[in-house]
Amino acid sequence: MPILEIKDLQAGIAGRQILRGVNLTIAPGEVHAIMGPNGSGKSTLAQVLAGRDTYVVTGGSVRLNGQDLLDMSPEERACAGLFLAFQYPVEIPGVSTSYFLKAALNAVRKYHGQPELDAMDFLKLMKQKMKLLDMDTSFLSRAVNEGFSGGEKKRNEILQMAVLDPKLAILDETDSGLDIDALRIVAGGVNSLRGPDRGILLVTHYQRLLNYIVPDYVHVLRDGQIIKSGDKNLALELEARGYGWLEEPVAVH
Amino acid sequence: MTQLMTNTSYLQRLLPSASDSSPGPLWLQARREEARQQWLRAGLPKNTDEQWRFTDLSPLAETVFSSTAAALAAAPSSDGRLPGIEAAELVLVNGKFHHQASRLPPAPVKIALLSQAAAAELKIFEDLLGTQARPTHHGLSALNTANFSDVVLVEVPAGITVAAPLNLIVHAVGAQPFAAYPRILLKIGANSSVTVVLSFAGPDNLAYLTNSLVETYVGVGSRVELVKIQREGTAASHIGSDYVHLDRDVTFQSLSLNQGGLLVRNNVTVTLAGPGSQATLNGLSMTAGRQHVDNHTMLDHAREHCASHELYKSLLAGRSSGTFTGKILVRPGSQKTDAKQTSKAVLLSSQATMNSQPQLEIYADDVKCTHGSTNGPLDDEQLFYLRARGLAYNQARAMLTSAFAADVLARVWQPALRTMLEDLVVTELHRLEREEF
Ligand SMILES: Nc1ncnc2c1ncn2[C@@H]1O[C@H](COP(=O)(O)OP(=O)(O)OP(=O)(O)O)[C@@H](O)[C@H]1O
Ligand SMILES: [Mg+2]
Repeated sequence: MPILEIKDLQAGIAGRQILRGVNLTIAPGEVHAIMGPNGSGKSTLAQVLAGRDTYVVTGGSVRLNGQDLLDMSPEERACAGLFLAFQYPVEIPGVSTSYFLKAALNAVRKYHGQPELDAMDFLKLMKQKMKLLDMDTSFLSRAVNEGFSGGEKKRNEILQMAVLDPKLAILDETDSGLDIDALRIVAGGVNSLRGPDRGILLVTHYQRLLNYIVPDYVHVLRDGQIIKSGDKNLALELEARGYGWLEEPVAVH
Repeated sequence: MTQLMTNTSYLQRLLPSASDSSPGPLWLQARREEARQQWLRAGLPKNTDEQWRFTDLSPLAETVFSSTAAALAAAPSSDGRLPGIEAAELVLVNGKFHHQASRLPPAPVKIALLSQAAAAELKIFEDLLGTQARPTHHGLSALNTANFSDVVLVEVPAGITVAAPLNLIVHAVGAQPFAAYPRILLKIGANSSVTVVLSFAGPDNLAYLTNSLVETYVGVGSRVELVKIQREGTAASHIGSDYVHLDRDVTFQSLSLNQGGLLVRNNVTVTLAGPGSQATLNGLSMTAGRQHVDNHTMLDHAREHCASHELYKSLLAGRSSGTFTGKILVRPGSQKTDAKQTSKAVLLSSQATMNSQPQLEIYADDVKCTHGSTNGPLDDEQLFYLRARGLAYNQARAMLTSAFAADVLARVWQPALRTMLEDLVVTELHRLEREEF
């Protein structure tokens, strides 16, 4: 059974179609990358998968490990193992990072019938994960993303991913705005999540990320459709030639 | 409504009959008479008055309030206590001091009652009572002065630090609709430090009126925190008028926490009467159903080099409504005034409403005055972010509403009091969550 199976997904906002029939299947263990010009619908796809209700789904189906994803609330999707690293993580003044992460982790654990982590075990887990991402534990007492630099916000997304340990991670331009050291660290975090029963969907504009997280498949999204799919060499080709040479939509995958 | 307000039969009805109160000293009789006359002239404020635009008091003109005399003997409930805090407790029942229920603060803090005052204390009452709350301010202040059954004086002498908070528990007790007129004087000497809590409580589902008036005098160099916890009954009207007079180099902070009552108006008037003083006014209102809370503040910058900082926050559910009016008066010569005013509201339902209005009157040129207000629903993106991490809808909302309230509570000086208020607010936010959105 695929981790993620998207069939003919159509979605948009009030009267405007953005996704025009997206098809994509991620089998266990696979890493897929989605590239495409600005405004082609990459973030829309990511947000629709996470359950953002600003977007209206007008057709198609999505299954996560066989479960009908479109029927689930955002929190159910998260608990069922879907994780979205946001392109623009929002600041939440007044909520400390540790309070938030502990609540999130315990919500997911509760969903799976596991006992809540106490403060000690939680802190131990955090220290371990933060070390992996070269993050200072002082972030824990700061409000979620408040006053974080662009790179710190992205790192915080990966920290959350590492703590919540999802089945499917969708990373929306997590590489944008990272310097090369941060990119290496973030890629390390993502690679450590790679495993035979997980899937990863990377949204990126840059081939350089794919040097660190080598994808099994690369797709090009344009005007709300996947117009081309290939292996990692497609990304190199896009880097060299841009998107212009890609023509009419073709059936894929 | 207009019709009701032109019917003036309520004016006499709300005044005490001549036999109700002992006449007291001559100066008191004169002040009461002046207040009676003012009340008969002014009556209830009307919506046509700019300062009362958003608050409709006409229900008060319709209600027939009974005498509160019968309830005075009743033993008050534990409402209004501060759980987990060692506080001196002064209990007022319908404005009368209740000895048995009170736990007096240790010396040298002094408590005195106007009805039983010795000559020296009487002088303090004569000097201070009503000197800030001039009957001309609004009819309701005058109504309190005409009606109060006693006055409680709390005196903190100069040069002492009162470690534990002083909790004045103001109970409304009765079975029929009634009106209570608590009246309190706080006199804080120079270079002292104290936190005073005013806890208002009363029965649910009863259309009673609490019309309270508190006058506070703070001496040179003192640090004073005044926390009002308004938890009146669900059908109550609460008119609370607080007047605060600050001498020079005072650090004053207040918190007005509102969760009870159906029709609530808080008048806060702070006079910065000496140079170098600072006043921080905080507010947090949490309302649901058809509650209405109107916070009306007046900062009178009467002297130079003073700072005022206001932060009023409201969380409104159901069909509740709120108003914040921040009046700032900078008098001629009050140079280097620094006044900052912020009002923020989160509308938890599409039917909740909030009005905020600054009113600045500035007669000095070297001053800094800023104001801002934001009203709106909870942030959709924040809500989605939390839910996308697995938090249930209600849990995510609760996290955001407590975060919204957090900075107001974080300012409370007394750590134990702060923690207690944080708990109280969390409980209250659950009430709002249960409300229809
Ligand atoms: N909430 C919204 N309201 C209005 N238009 C929207 C909204 N979300 C997306 N769009 C529009 O839909 C289109 C696709 O946007 P989307 O953010 O999915 O693009 P993208 O591929 O992620 O672009 P980028 O590479 O710049 O991140 C754009 O034209 C965008 O303006
Ligand atoms: Mg995008």
